[in-house]
Amino acid sequence: MTDTIEWLETIGKNANLRHAPAEELAHTLEEAGASEALKAAVKFEDSSRLSTELGNKPMKVDHNPHTGGHEEEGPDHDDGQDAPSQPPKPTPSEPSPGK
Amino acid sequence: MNTTSLSPQDNPRRGSLACVGLGMTLGSHLTPLARSHIEQADVVFAALSDGIVELWLKRMHPDVRSLQPYYAEGKSRMKTYREWVELMMTEVRAGKRVCGVFYGHPGIFAWSPRNAIETARAEGFDAHMEPGISAEDCLYADVGIDPGRFGCQHFEASQLLFYERRIDNTGYLVLWQVGLVGDWSLTRFRTGPACRQLLVDVLSQDYPLDHEVIIYRGATLPIEQPRIRRIALRDLPEAVLTPEETVVLPPASPLKPNLAMRAQLEELDKAGAIV
Ligand SMILES: C[S@@+](CC[C@H](N)C(=O)[O-])C[C@H]1O[C@@H](n2cnc3c(N)ncnc32)[C@H](O)[C@@H]1O
Repeated sequence: MTDTIEWLETIGKNANLRHAPAEELAHTLEEAGASEALKAAVKFEDSSRLSTELGNKPMKVDHNPHTGGHEEEGPDHDDGQDAPSQPPKPTPSEPSPGK
Repeated sequence: MNTTSLSPQDNPRRGSLACVGLGMTLGSHLTPLARSHIEQADVVFAALSDGIVELWLKRMHPDVRSLQPYYAEGKSRMKTYREWVELMMTEVRAGKRVCGVFYGHPGIFAWSPRNAIETARAEGFDAHMEPGISAEDCLYADVGIDPGRFGCQHFEASQLLFYERRIDNTGYLVLWQVGLVGDWSLTRFRTGPACRQLLVDVLSQDYPLDHEVIIYRGATLPIEQPRIRRIALRDLPEAVLTPEETVVLPPASPLKPNLAMRAQLEELDKAGAIV
């Protein structure tokens, strides 16, 4: 039997299913014996309902610092120190080229 | 020649690194080549934006190691990003084929993949980046923006506060990581209305306060729809903003014709010197 992750992959790669109206997709899933959580998530257009079956792992999404090409200027923590909460006052020097 | 110290080139089992994008939506965006990198790796590291997408990835390989536990409240994300590079490089140096899987595109607003690839190459290992469909790509499709129409600037939102940047309000402005704008320390995962108010103060130098702001969240699961909210710039501080939302400001002024350049081009044309 197709499980919920497999169903999600199937829906994700099938143009009809991916763009089907919620009731239509819910009906397809009902016929196919999909899990209660998946059917509820589709029917109520609320993916958080999948958590009853698949758990809820909060994910952080940030992959980037804000200093762009000037990483050496950013808060550095290789020394294990706490992060400075504000930037240091700029010292008058040559602008460092971005990498 | 010293034959006892094996350089990576001489090593019979050379490590390698591929950083691939998983795209944004489960099942919809993973390219066949990225999938192949995942399946053929010895070890897979994952920095994804949805726990269910991580479960899906775990179906593709028996050794998928989540990079999520390296984040911590109060710990600099810079430290986390460096640890990610080290984790991947440790396995590369041990002769493993390593695949780092990042949601979206691994080279868009993502520090570790680029730095891991640079490090690996500097040490003589093969390293490769495989593009993915990013939040940016989904935004163009879902919101109906073409960056080529008026031009499009992208900024990490905090960069607009910590640095003096020049915004061109005749094009689109796309702001990333607005949910934590203004945190120099990189130790927080959210900042509040007061920081967003400072962002609005900066933006109001180029945009009227009633200018439209689009808050966009693309689907990570294929049973979701994109979420597109439109508010006035002045309301951004009080808006509820999740970390995975991207903010777009449409152009505020029309393109200004460059008359001097047009005249020069006309002269060139008359002189038959355009081609
Ligand atoms: C560090 S960037 C990573 C971007 C990723 N590498 C990509 O290619 O899309 C994190 C930012 O991406 C944007 N983002 C992440 N998930 C998103 C989503 N589901 N919809 C819209 N924007 C998203 C937000 O601006 C968020 O602050």
